[in-house]
This record gives sequence, C-alpha cells and structure tokens, in this order.
Amino acid sequence: MATQLLMAKSPEEAVNNKTATAAFLAGGTEVNRLGSDIAVKADMLISLKKCSGLSDITEADGYITIGSMCTFQDLIESDTVPCYLKEAAHFMASRTKRNMATIGGNIASLRSDSYLIPTLMAVGAVLEMEGNNGSCRIGIAEYVDRSEADALITSVTVPKEIKVISRRFANTAQSHAVLTMSAALTEEGIWLDGAVKNVGLLHFCDLEKAFREDPDISEEAIIEMVRVCTGLHTADDMFGSDTYKRYLIAVTAYDLHKRLVGKEV
Amino acid sequence: MDRQYKVVHCTINGKKVEQVVDVRASLTDMLRNDFRLTSVKKGCEVGECGACTVIINGEGFNSCIYLAVWAEGKDIWTLEGLTGPGGELSDIQQAFVDEGAIQCGFCTPGFIMTSWEIVNSGKEYTDDELRKALSGHLCRCTGYENIFRAVKKTMLRHLGKYDEAELVNSQGITEYPEPMPFK
Repeated sequence: MATQLLMAKSPEEAVNNKTATAAFLAGGTEVNRLGSDIAVKADMLISLKKCSGLSDITEADGYITIGSMCTFQDLIESDTVPCYLKEAAHFMASRTKRNMATIGGNIASLRSDSYLIPTLMAVGAVLEMEGNNGSCRIGIAEYVDRSEADALITSVTVPKEIKVISRRFANTAQSHAVLTMSAALTEEGIWLDGAVKNVGLLHFCDLEKAFREDPDISEEAIIEMVRVCTGLHTADDMFGSDTYKRYLIAVTAYDLHKRLVGKEV
Repeated sequence: MDRQYKVVHCTINGKKVEQVVDVRASLTDMLRNDFRLTSVKKGCEVGECGACTVIINGEGFNSCIYLAVWAEGKDIWTLEGLTGPGGELSDIQQAFVDEGAIQCGFCTPGFIMTSWEIVNSGKEYTDDELRKALSGHLCRCTGYENIFRAVKKTMLRHLGKYDEAELVNSQGITEYPEPMPFK
C-alpha cells in the first residue's frame, strides 16, 4: 500500500525516482479510486501534477502534439485538438472526472475498456517517452504490446486530418463499456482497433484484411468470420455472453467500415 | 514504511486554512474529518457517483479521488459556503427545494455544486448540454427531471430570462405560448 508521495517538478525527476515498487500518478481517476490495484502494489506514488511542460498542445506539419497531463476536458475545450479525439474524450460522461483524467494516464492504465486507446491506435498515434535511458518515440500499438511501465509518457502525437469514426457500447453513459471500437481511413485502407472489456486492447487485422480484399463483403460474412475466429478470446461474463460480444464486434466493424467509405448501412 | 505527512495551505469557502494531512488522504477525508464539512459525501469512492463534488478554482472535481495535498494553494468551495451568513439558502439551493429536486438528499450537495458552476458560468446551456453537464452525478430517488428543472430555471434567471424560467414545464421543457393569429 503506497504511503509515500513524491511531487515531481519535472519529467526527469519523476523518471529518476521511478523504482519497481513506485507508480506514476497522473490525474488520479485510476490510481486514487477505491480498490485500485496500482495503489495497493506500490509503496510510493510519483505525482506528475506539478511537472512542467506536460500540459501543452501544439500543432506542426499537420500533426497535433498533446502533453500527457492534458485532461479530457482540456482536449474537449481545445481549438487545436481534432474532433475525433474530442469525441473519444466525450465517452467519459462525467465532467468532474474529465476535469481530472489525463490522456497520458488513460493510455498508461491500459484498461480493457479504455476511452482513448482504440481511437489513438486507429490513427497511429506516436508516444514520446522519457525513461532512464533518455527519451524515445514509439507507436501506441507497440506500447500496448510491451507496456513500458518504468518509462513516462510525456506527449502524444496524432494526425490532424484523418477520417475516424468511433463507437462505445455500455449500459449507461457512466458504465464500463463492453466494446469501444474505432476505425480510421488511411491510404492503406481501413484501420480497426478496439477495447473489449475483460479481453483487452485489440487490433482487428483479419477484419481489416477482409474489408481491403472485398470492400463489398456482406454483413453476414463478417458476422460468421468473427463468430468462428479462434484468435479472439471473449468469454461469458457480466458484460455479456461470448456470442453477444462477437456479434457486437462484427456488426460494429461492418457499420464503421460502411460509414467510413461513405455507403449506407 | 512510515506514513508521510504534509502541510496543505488552501482557501476553503473563502477562509484561508492550513492543515497537516497524510499524503494519501483524499480531499473528501480532509474536508469531512478535519473541517467537519459533511456536505461532502462519501459515496462510491471511485469517482462515479458525484456525491463528493466540490468546486476547485471554479471547476467541479470529484474530491474522493483528488488528493488533499493537491489542494495546496487552491480555492475550494463546498455546499456550506453557498449559504448566507444567517443560513439563508442560495438561489440554486432554494430552486432544488421549490422543484422537489431532493428526496433522501445524499446526492444533493454534489448536484448543487455542479449546478452552481453551471448557473454562474454565464452560459446558456441547451437542454441536451445541461443533461450532459449533470451526467457525472447519480441519483437513485428523484429520476433527475426535478433536478434538471431546478437547474434550468435557475440558469435562466441568472441570465435575466425570468419570464422564460416561468415557462419551463414539469418535464423541464420550455413551453412558449402560441403566437397570436395574424389578422
């Protein structure tokens, strides 16, 4: 149980004090909540609230760079942040929570019902990381795969002009979502990413391939493809049955693809 | 490992205070235990129900997931700070009473703090925006409509639209009178 708190003044100070039993503390919506595993396992929390230079939003060469300590409400109120990211930030319904939750914290917590990660993965966001070996830039998909808990996310860079559609399915605006899915249209074709509750953060490469090979593929074919997919480890739980989750993934992917390429659903 | 303590200096309901707190204490704990401001309710303690909402530097926050040490130098307002010197209710509090927007009362302080931010923003929210702005609060008694109506009426009054506030019906919809037929 964390009993010590360090109020880091800079990203370097935060990283230098990061040990195996310490945890970064950003907005607090994840670490400070009752029952948080992170706070239970850590003996020290490193608060990033006073870190300088982590709350800027800048634009250059068609890309937007967002400081990791920008809150969801900062994203919504910014004139620079692209609409698709504002839409994802709005998935967090509570404004009081949006005043606290940060983009960096939401990525680092890697929740299986993440608000932002599906959208950031679909647009190919790049993370600037600060670690003991200096700074580096990695794609968000790579970060999700290898989760560098000791390195600090300092900024997130996303393209400004890209066509993206996102959907989130939950019982209520405040509930945990069973599925959050985003699709982006790039020169290479459609990119499909999602967060499936209790399963994880997924890149739907088989579905992308199917849509690229046959843009007019039927909804029934997509439903059948997901129904028999062995690489998808959905299970029955309080958020729905395995069958329901697979059906939801399939029809949502089909819907997003059709809307992105401008066809009626 | 030993517990770590820090001194926090902040302004609570217009009064400058300083308090020694455990660095892991939430702002809810500090306000309730050290300052006896019990309008700040402990509900879910995961930042979902909004019962602990306080205003920090003009914006609503869930104080249950906000560390007390983060309050250093901040201007904090709770429900107790809204009443007049003789205990007179503020207009938003009175509106909750008038519209029957209370039952068990547990969620009410949180709702009123967010509503206070809304009505003092100087912005006219649409019905949809108003519902979204209130969506960080859970009420298990009233069904929300009375709360919505109380906030909408007070917002309109703050904007000087007294006549329009009277036209808000029981469903919270502004019912404009039929225009006079053209002769």
